[in-house]
Amino acid sequence: MRTPFKQMLATGNVFIWGCAAGVSLSLLMVFGLLLLIMINGLGYFWISDIVDLTLKDGQHVMGQLAGREVIPRTITPDRPEGKSRVRVKIGNRDLSGLDFKWVNDDQIVSQAYPADVVLLERREWGNMYARIQAVYSGEKLLAEGNEAGWTALGPLISSADDLHRQIKQIEQFEIGAINADIERLRLKIRAIEMEHPASPVSSEMKAQVADTETRYREKTAELETLRARFDEYSVVMVDANGREKQIAVGQIVRALRPNEMGVWQKSWIYLVNVWAALSTEPREANTEGGIFPAIFGTVLMVIIMSLAVVPFGVLAALYLREYARQGAMVRLVRIAVNNLAGVPSIVFGVFGLGFFIYAIGGTLDTLFYPERLPTPTFGTGGILWASLTLALLTVPVVIVSTEEGLAAVPREFREGSLALGATKLETMLKVVIPSALPGILTGLILAMARAAGEVAPLMLTGVVKLAPALPLDGSWPFFHFDRKFMHLGFHIYDVGFQSPNVEAAKPMVYITTLVLITVVILLNLTAIVLRNHLRKKYAGSVL
Amino acid sequence: MNSDSDHVLDLSPSGGAYDDTPPQLPLKRSTSALRRRAFDRLAQIIVTLGGAAVILSIIGMFVFLVKEVVPLFLSPHGTQSGHFAGDLDRGEPSQSSLVGLDEYQEIIYLLSGGAERQIRFFNAQSGAPIAVELPAGLADAYIVSIARAAGSGHRFAFATKDGRLIPVTIEFTSGFDQGERRITPTITIGSPMQATPATERILRLAYQPTDQGPLTAALTDQGRLWYTAGALGSSPVALTNHGNESVTSFIFDSRGETLSVGTVGGKLYRYELREGVQPSLSETIPVAPAGTAVTALSYLIGDRSLVIGSGAGEVSVWMPVREAQESSVTRFRLIHRLDTHPASVTGISPSLRNKGFITGDAQGNLFVHYATSSQTVLKLSGDGQAIRALAFSPKADGAVILSDQGELRTYAIRNPHPETTVATLLAPVWYEGYDRPEHVWQSSSGADDFEAKFGLMPLIFGTLKGTFYAMLVAVPLALLGAIYTAMFMAPHLRAKIKPTIEIMAALPTVILGFLAGLWIAPMLERIFPAMVAMMIAVPAGVIVTSVLWQYFPATVTRRLRPGMEAFILIPVIIGVVWACLALNQPVESLLFGGSYKTWFATHWGLRYDQRNALVVGFAMGFAIVPIIYSISEEALTNVPRHLIAGSLALGATRWQTLVKLVLVSASPGIFSALMIGFGRAIGETMIVLMATGNTPIMEWSVFNGFRTLSANIAVEIPEAPHGGTLYRTLFLAALVLFAFTFLINTVAEMIRQRLRTKYSQY
Repeated sequence: MRTPFKQMLATGNVFIWGCAAGVSLSLLMVFGLLLLIMINGLGYFWISDIVDLTLKDGQHVMGQLAGREVIPRTITPDRPEGKSRVRVKIGNRDLSGLDFKWVNDDQIVSQAYPADVVLLERREWGNMYARIQAVYSGEKLLAEGNEAGWTALGPLISSADDLHRQIKQIEQFEIGAINADIERLRLKIRAIEMEHPASPVSSEMKAQVADTETRYREKTAELETLRARFDEYSVVMVDANGREKQIAVGQIVRALRPNEMGVWQKSWIYLVNVWAALSTEPREANTEGGIFPAIFGTVLMVIIMSLAVVPFGVLAALYLREYARQGAMVRLVRIAVNNLAGVPSIVFGVFGLGFFIYAIGGTLDTLFYPERLPTPTFGTGGILWASLTLALLTVPVVIVSTEEGLAAVPREFREGSLALGATKLETMLKVVIPSALPGILTGLILAMARAAGEVAPLMLTGVVKLAPALPLDGSWPFFHFDRKFMHLGFHIYDVGFQSPNVEAAKPMVYITTLVLITVVILLNLTAIVLRNHLRKKYAGSVL
Repeated sequence: MNSDSDHVLDLSPSGGAYDDTPPQLPLKRSTSALRRRAFDRLAQIIVTLGGAAVILSIIGMFVFLVKEVVPLFLSPHGTQSGHFAGDLDRGEPSQSSLVGLDEYQEIIYLLSGGAERQIRFFNAQSGAPIAVELPAGLADAYIVSIARAAGSGHRFAFATKDGRLIPVTIEFTSGFDQGERRITPTITIGSPMQATPATERILRLAYQPTDQGPLTAALTDQGRLWYTAGALGSSPVALTNHGNESVTSFIFDSRGETLSVGTVGGKLYRYELREGVQPSLSETIPVAPAGTAVTALSYLIGDRSLVIGSGAGEVSVWMPVREAQESSVTRFRLIHRLDTHPASVTGISPSLRNKGFITGDAQGNLFVHYATSSQTVLKLSGDGQAIRALAFSPKADGAVILSDQGELRTYAIRNPHPETTVATLLAPVWYEGYDRPEHVWQSSSGADDFEAKFGLMPLIFGTLKGTFYAMLVAVPLALLGAIYTAMFMAPHLRAKIKPTIEIMAALPTVILGFLAGLWIAPMLERIFPAMVAMMIAVPAGVIVTSVLWQYFPATVTRRLRPGMEAFILIPVIIGVVWACLALNQPVESLLFGGSYKTWFATHWGLRYDQRNALVVGFAMGFAIVPIIYSISEEALTNVPRHLIAGSLALGATRWQTLVKLVLVSASPGIFSALMIGFGRAIGETMIVLMATGNTPIMEWSVFNGFRTLSANIAVEIPEAPHGGTLYRTLFLAALVLFAFTFLINTVAEMIRQRLRTKYSQY
């Protein structure tokens, strides 16, 4: 069996190994990518211990370890090789200006994990790692020292959190509703003025306007009192190097002592963090907080798209496979449909912008919303136009998959049904379509997966980095098709590439990526399973 | 799902055979039969309509894109829209009459010499005169010459018989009166100043208000050219450097930095003007054939290009161009030569919006030109009467001329996209401020007088460059993988591996783009030497493993099923990669003398950008691997098994069978796989957007970024005004992408279908 190397070349076995390397590399790339995203995305939720590094010059660096590397040559060209350094997330952005700090290993004298250090998650300026010096109520000292302060702080934070929720409720919903009323009244008046320029605005209208304005003033006053209470308590923190900082308790989202916590407690916090990321709104220019609006926007957009794409896709497939006379024309159309799937998505975006937004949207605005012009209603990007654009993008997927499903239904089924006297429609509805349902579903799911991941066309048709309101809410008419929305894919692009502090934003990008990739892969796996099911079901029945 | 299939079985003939009750035949109920037939027809119509709708929407998409692009290339259109008497005395010197229009083309003004009614206004539609009181300073002066200042606004200087100059500004204020727009002209005059010695009579005049005060130049009946910088209060200076040749035309630029003087002999003298210094002659250029007078001069917007009209009817555009690459010395050079008038050029009026201008001649012809595209876009022939004065409307959508007979004519000109032609989109264009014609894409800038440059070449180049590097990464990987999966892998392994690689195709490209930009790019910058080492070490590792495998005892090797090589190689590759990473710094010292960036800069003159073509190559390669892999794998699997069996039975080795038989038979399919992969890479947007610097440059270097057509659309279309040239140009880019990928995919699909029918015969 032992052959010399030359023989090996002659048999070509070495080339076969080369081909094998192609598969190995592809597999490594797939799993490497998934692993990278999982580690980075899931790792973020874990609260790691706070380390306190004492440096040679007596300074302290306190924070969470975020990596270690060999010092690159570009930084220190003349140093001996092999020295390493650690990266510490030092937080306290308002004190130091930076989130991260590199510390060379040879500068570190000692390393400790003090149990009493407090991690403050804040609404602004990111995390703070420090100890509590004192807690104040206005000017009055409530508690002094780290331990006493810690005990005092807990209840204050939870009551501040309640307040924050109340304020949010008023700001977002109540004042939001009043603002919507005011806007509606304004437009109504404008519409009347446009129709009858001469007639004065009725006194009833004026009264309504005055009424809403009073309501508005009442609410803002209420808000003021809440805000004052919000800022009532404050805490003075002192960092590892003795610098002090006074923070209003209202600014604190959560206070933790990670070094005190056990594994179970941390695991609980982990789950809480995961839930928070999925269910809360972003903070700090999207770099912190959650991604709920992006998830919501993505899901709603995909649903609207599905509603548009399924009927059209299925009708077209039925036509091509069941109704049209099979010939060169249908073959050509089939190729065209197939190739539409290969057309760059940005082209669909351009079409959506030109056709849906400017042509149709612009016309709708002049016909139905003349009082709002020049502010466009449908003449600008919105969730409806984005969904329709993506429906156009994904319709070939549904057609191809449905056709595949229809083709798999044995001819005998149709013939049997027709022979029993059923009309073609009845055959379709009761025999063919139910049998082809897995194919249709596969198409729909693949279309959803594709739509969930597309970003380029959305950038032109209505996605925004931060939407002030969800496209579906409690104010009339509930579904706001003209509203702009947030999207997971665009969130990745925006937070990762457009935010001022990319380094601090990275964890957020990884989390968003993880959510998106999970959704897309799950949808695709479902489609694969369904398709296999379909293939197996009719595999033998043709005979 | 189960209930559905049960349902299906019920309807099958065998299911019905066991039924006791006879099947309810439709014949029994004729009314319901009719209804059913009607429904059936209706369904047929609906399905056909639905099918047609989808087909129409594909065609409609194409038509819509074309519709948005077409206006770019429509030839401009011009018609005479009005014609009436200007009520002018004949025999005035030619430069003592000027015409102009307001922004909305509602009011025409006519300025003329003489002692009365020097400024007249007319309704542009009806030609009815509009009465406006002249200011006292003007009403009692005898005007001999009038000059228009360059730049926006209607600013003039009126020269009186005794050498004084009166600055005049005409303003149009628009107000709404009962829902209708009303434009009212107002005239304001400045304080007069002395431009020449009072004894000389001014024949021609140039005037330019600047930040430092007004500048004037006046040619008198003594043949002398007087220059005055008004703010200094200095007395007029006679310019003599141009010698004895008689001066026919002269003009200031709008910043007042140069005075260009054209002569009867066809020469242009350029005086440099600086505050407090005597004007000095900087350049003398022959701009027209000897003996042909320079009859008209005008700067285009931005003051760089000077349009010169000659007595022989030639129209040319000149620009200062640097003498050499690094030199700061500029020379005036002929850049564009436009269509020649049949008679002497009598007037030039530039557009205030773009690099367009109109010229008129002594036979009444009106030409519309565009400098950047070197094109005479429109020729409106006249009736033989010389054009005495002309003006382009402020929005460049109309013109007014004054004929020698004192008639006013108005023209409507429709030319919304004068700057784009096929040539400006694809060929190098000589833009202002450049040393030579170049391919440039630059759609916006902070400067006011900026000219948008729509050269698609850098973007097409970037698209091809990105695609090239992506294919370089993807093709070997995908093809090798496909060959191995199709030919050498056990079926049950193949059933798992194939979907795993194919699922990569479903990964949103925004994720790949983000990883490329934020993870691969900074990492590659650090480990580039290790990367170079890997390109050698990984194949070497594979070869070494395959050789070592020969020496493994047969008991071990026999037990492994076909297809295990790929899994044996995984730890090998990981090991090699890890070793390369660990040896990053030694390799850098060994190969690149310590720092690869300096090495590349000094040896090859390459600059390393963090987000470069290599990063895109990896990320976009990753994105198209599954497509190429999947389609070529299918092509390889479809090669009939009995052919392969025959080859092996005849004693060919597995490799020989593969190379001589399978690859040859499947090559059209593999080719179509490559084409589809290519089509996908061409249009990919997010990866390029995130992983390159998006700079539209044209360099093949792997260390530079680029900008692709698709990324360009994503970057620029949100800022592009609807219907503007940028908007339409971006639509053109989308149309090109659409047509190109559609074509590629169609060809690839046809090849695949032919292949399929070919093999179905076996």
